[in-house]
Amino acid sequence: MHRSIRLALALAVCPSLAAANPVTSLGLTQASDSAGNVTAGRLVRSLIEYTRWPVRADPVTICLVGPATWNGALDVAALGDGRRVSRKIVGAAQAASSGCNVVYTGRIEPRAAQQIFASVRGKGVLTIAENDPQCRSQAMFCLLPGRQGLSFAVNIDAVSRSGLRIDPRVLRMASGSMR
Amino acid sequence: MTRTPPALPTLRQRLSQVHLRLILFALTLASASLLVSGTMVIRNYAQRNLELIASTASYTVEPAIVFGDSAGVREGLISVAAVPSVNRVEVRGTDGKLIAEWDRGREGLQSWIENSANRVLWPQPSRRIIKHSGAAIGEVRVYGNSQGILRYAMAGAIIALACLGLTMIATRILARRLQRDVIEPLHQLVQVAHSVRAERAFHRRLPPSSIAEIDLFSRDFNALLAELEGWHHSLSTENEELARRATHDPLTGLGNRILFEQSLNEAIAESVHTRASFAVLFLDADNFKLINDSHGHDAGDAALVAVAERLRSAIRHGDQAFRLGGDEFVILLPALHNLDHVDGVKARIEAAMDRPLQLPGAAEQRIRLSIGVATYPDDGLSPQDLLRRADSAMYDDKNNRRGGGVEDKIDA
Repeated sequence: MHRSIRLALALAVCPSLAAANPVTSLGLTQASDSAGNVTAGRLVRSLIEYTRWPVRADPVTICLVGPATWNGALDVAALGDGRRVSRKIVGAAQAASSGCNVVYTGRIEPRAAQQIFASVRGKGVLTIAENDPQCRSQAMFCLLPGRQGLSFAVNIDAVSRSGLRIDPRVLRMASGSMR
Repeated sequence: MTRTPPALPTLRQRLSQVHLRLILFALTLASASLLVSGTMVIRNYAQRNLELIASTASYTVEPAIVFGDSAGVREGLISVAAVPSVNRVEVRGTDGKLIAEWDRGREGLQSWIENSANRVLWPQPSRRIIKHSGAAIGEVRVYGNSQGILRYAMAGAIIALACLGLTMIATRILARRLQRDVIEPLHQLVQVAHSVRAERAFHRRLPPSSIAEIDLFSRDFNALLAELEGWHHSLSTENEELARRATHDPLTGLGNRILFEQSLNEAIAESVHTRASFAVLFLDADNFKLINDSHGHDAGDAALVAVAERLRSAIRHGDQAFRLGGDEFVILLPALHNLDHVDGVKARIEAAMDRPLQLPGAAEQRIRLSIGVATYPDDGLSPQDLLRRADSAMYDDKNNRRGGGVEDKIDA
């Protein structure tokens, strides 16, 4: 039931590659908050870009629940295909009824997080948990801060029940980078 | 006929050379065209394969680039592009900076050859733009690997060489067969023609051949030889007849004066060598002129023939009788070991002449012969001396008989 597959995507793993290519030199540690925001922002934005909603969402509404470590992760202006992104802060109880396309949970209780994710399951909502490295909250994606940078885990069970279509390359890529 | 100098190439060598060159030319042409066309086809397929790989790689690595995961980019590249037909693949950003790469990475002579072939076959890599949400985010470049084509070319070259070896063997067999069918008959022709010219071997013939033209030629040649043989035979017979006529008396068949002189000289030469003696008997018919005058020349000729016949039967096998002319006869008794033999011969001649001759148009006639003997070396060493002594002895004999009252009875 809680078979969560931990798939870590290490960003800028190889220092030499990072040095050779500034574009990928996003490998920054948790210690640097602003840099972490940038990294988390790119990660969240990429996840959204590789997600297909049953009905095309424009603008894409990101709902933040609880205080976020990387507040900037939600500071996404627009997507690559031109869709706009709107952002709002909602309470735990309103997550299912606020017209959210994406639910991003910050530092909240695991039980509360589970309730939120259970309430949006099957309704076409992309769920990302910031503060759940074990990924037990039934979020589709969980951010994993590591020594070499920010990565994420995928809960295939949650993905399959979400009602969304995630590009398989994202899943495959993530699984390939599991170390 | 002139003999072929040994420096000139034989027909077999020439045929073998022509065959070899012809087959080498054809084989080289076929191999080269096959190799070139095959290489072109394979190269085109390889090119399409590279484009397919570039397309697949761009699709595979797209999310990793979007996520900014260069390690993921490299893994995606390896998963689709690390195949034998790819030498190198790289992913570059829109600014041209290298994001990830994979290289076959070999060293040594093989690598040098392959890299040279790579530069010739694929001077430019297969490129594919990586797009995300309609915007270019990078480019995949795939460099082809010539290993497969080189293997094909190598296999082709080996097969061509093997074919070349087989061709050499086949050419030799072919040349041998040609020699058996064509050159061997020609060689026999040369031999037969030479022996006909040099040894007059008109009896030799060419064997039948399995090739129509040569067989026809052999038959004609054999027919020609048969004609030549016939001509040669009749010519020889005529020559022998002419030679016999030149040395023999046509009336009696005895040797004439020419043959006698030859035989006398030979007998002297042999006696000088063997130190044996021999005898010359000079004979003359006492009353021959009377027969001629009273009975005609036919009777005279018949008398001469009869005398010759009786002389021939009176002498030994090795002795020789000659008619010098008119009624003069000579008998040569070579290798005489015993002088009694001369007397024996004289007695036999006289006994033979004792019987009367039956002449045409005349009654029986008895002819008496006067005989003079000269022996070598007692009576002379030269032919002239011997003949003179024999001649004078004969006259003595004739005179003795006349003087002795032994008159021939002449029947008119």
